[in-house]
Amino acid sequence: MTIEIEVKNLNFYYTGNILVLKNINIPIYKNKITALIGPSGCGKTTLLRCFNRMHDLYPGNRYEGEILFQGKNILSKTVDLIELRAKIGMVFQKPTPFPMSIFDNIAYGLRLRNIKNKKELKERVEKALIEAALWDEVKDKLYSSAMGLSGGQQQRLCIARAIAVEPEVLLFDEPTSALDPISTGKIEDLIVQLKNKITIVIVTHNMQQAARISDYTAFMYLGELIEFGPTEKIFTNPDYKLTEDYITGRFG
Amino acid sequence: MNTKRKLINVVALTLCFLTALWGLFWLFFIIFDVLRHGILALTPSLLLKDPTPPGIPGGGLRHAIVGHLLITFCATLIGVPIGILGGTFLAEYGRGYKISKLISSLADIMISVPAIIVGAFVYAILVKPLGHFSGWAGSIALAIIMIPVIMRTTENMLSLIPWTLREAAFALGAPYYKVIIQIVYRGASTGILTGIILGVARVTGEAAPLLFTSFNNAYFSLNMNQPIASLTITIFQYAMGPYEDWHVQAWGASLIITSLILFLTLIGKSLIKRGFKD
Repeated sequence: MTIEIEVKNLNFYYTGNILVLKNINIPIYKNKITALIGPSGCGKTTLLRCFNRMHDLYPGNRYEGEILFQGKNILSKTVDLIELRAKIGMVFQKPTPFPMSIFDNIAYGLRLRNIKNKKELKERVEKALIEAALWDEVKDKLYSSAMGLSGGQQQRLCIARAIAVEPEVLLFDEPTSALDPISTGKIEDLIVQLKNKITIVIVTHNMQQAARISDYTAFMYLGELIEFGPTEKIFTNPDYKLTEDYITGRFG
Repeated sequence: MNTKRKLINVVALTLCFLTALWGLFWLFFIIFDVLRHGILALTPSLLLKDPTPPGIPGGGLRHAIVGHLLITFCATLIGVPIGILGGTFLAEYGRGYKISKLISSLADIMISVPAIIVGAFVYAILVKPLGHFSGWAGSIALAIIMIPVIMRTTENMLSLIPWTLREAAFALGAPYYKVIIQIVYRGASTGILTGIILGVARVTGEAAPLLFTSFNNAYFSLNMNQPIASLTITIFQYAMGPYEDWHVQAWGASLIITSLILFLTLIGKSLIKRGFKD
């Protein structure tokens, strides 16, 4: 088992020196699904957004420590964020279709990488939509606005958009919390299939979801990583009482 | 208790209805009066011919209509890019800086500055040093009035685009300028266009700033370095003039300009409606 991302002694401060991640150490294994769970405000989304340096969009945020991605520290100042984000994609809590056609949505990331050839664009858009299990539903209306799709379809569109550029890691930030159970099921199936090609980190509030789809689970509390291990162990025989209390629904 | 509440309700409703009626009455009175007088003056020669010397019947307002459109068009060319780029700075790159908040508040003040002050300002910085009135000075005065309107509308429309949408584009590896041009502008396009149209409509009816800048011209002219006639100044001149012929043409000009503003505003409003439907 290779480690794709390794977080080492990570501290993270929001503007005004507010410490929100305290000395995090966690490995993310290649081609596995790692779930980050914990009560609201525990820092799981903050940790997720460190992996693609999303925090850099807002001035005043500060990292300490290291995040090694394929052996290189991505917190270093010399890292090209555009290149990094091409390799580490992200899907957000609410669907974020761009105000353009379905085709252009998927092609957006490809065009950013200077893929202009029409035939190649078409093939890769189709491939991404098939992989995201959306092709059959949209193949007849590729050139109509993406805003007309349902919430679940929009979220699969966002996943298709993210996988079209063939990232090596995909970050999911509560991707199903705004969706109905049927759409949730489809997206969970999709995520499980994707792990053959992509390493996945998912933040979720839904513990059943973490148990269903993830291989590893990290439990966080008040900015600290309490426990990390194989999902089965975390859910059946956790080392810490805090983890057990959260998983059994005693708080959260 | 119940009857009292119902009574208050009836009184309040009646008051609202009457005040609305009062306002609308005058509005329609003005529009109707402009229409009634203006329609009589609205002949092909009004639109197609230049004025005849005072006292001689016939002639039209071609010089003022063309001059007005030219000045407004040039003002739009100057005002729209500055307004949009300024609004983009406030909502995107400058977001969070104190200076942006200051500019924003100043723009709000600028929106309500009397237009005649803008006219006097341009007179002082442009007309006086150059020694003559000019179409450009008029366009610049109108642009100065237009810029804060477009800037604030653009800022507001861009701020309405959710940050998650920008983050989604960043997450795909897009640089900021591409995020703005390809995602944010596209999402806010209807709103920005509405701002432009309302900004243009706002300056179309201005007379005061033109009085000090483009002044007036009795002849047809396309030279922006020289004084140019405009509909609003012509209305002022003709309405004050001693000839019955002029009065009729002033009504005609009023109708043309009122319809123009009505038309622009209606386009603006319909765009707003369509924007919210999408």
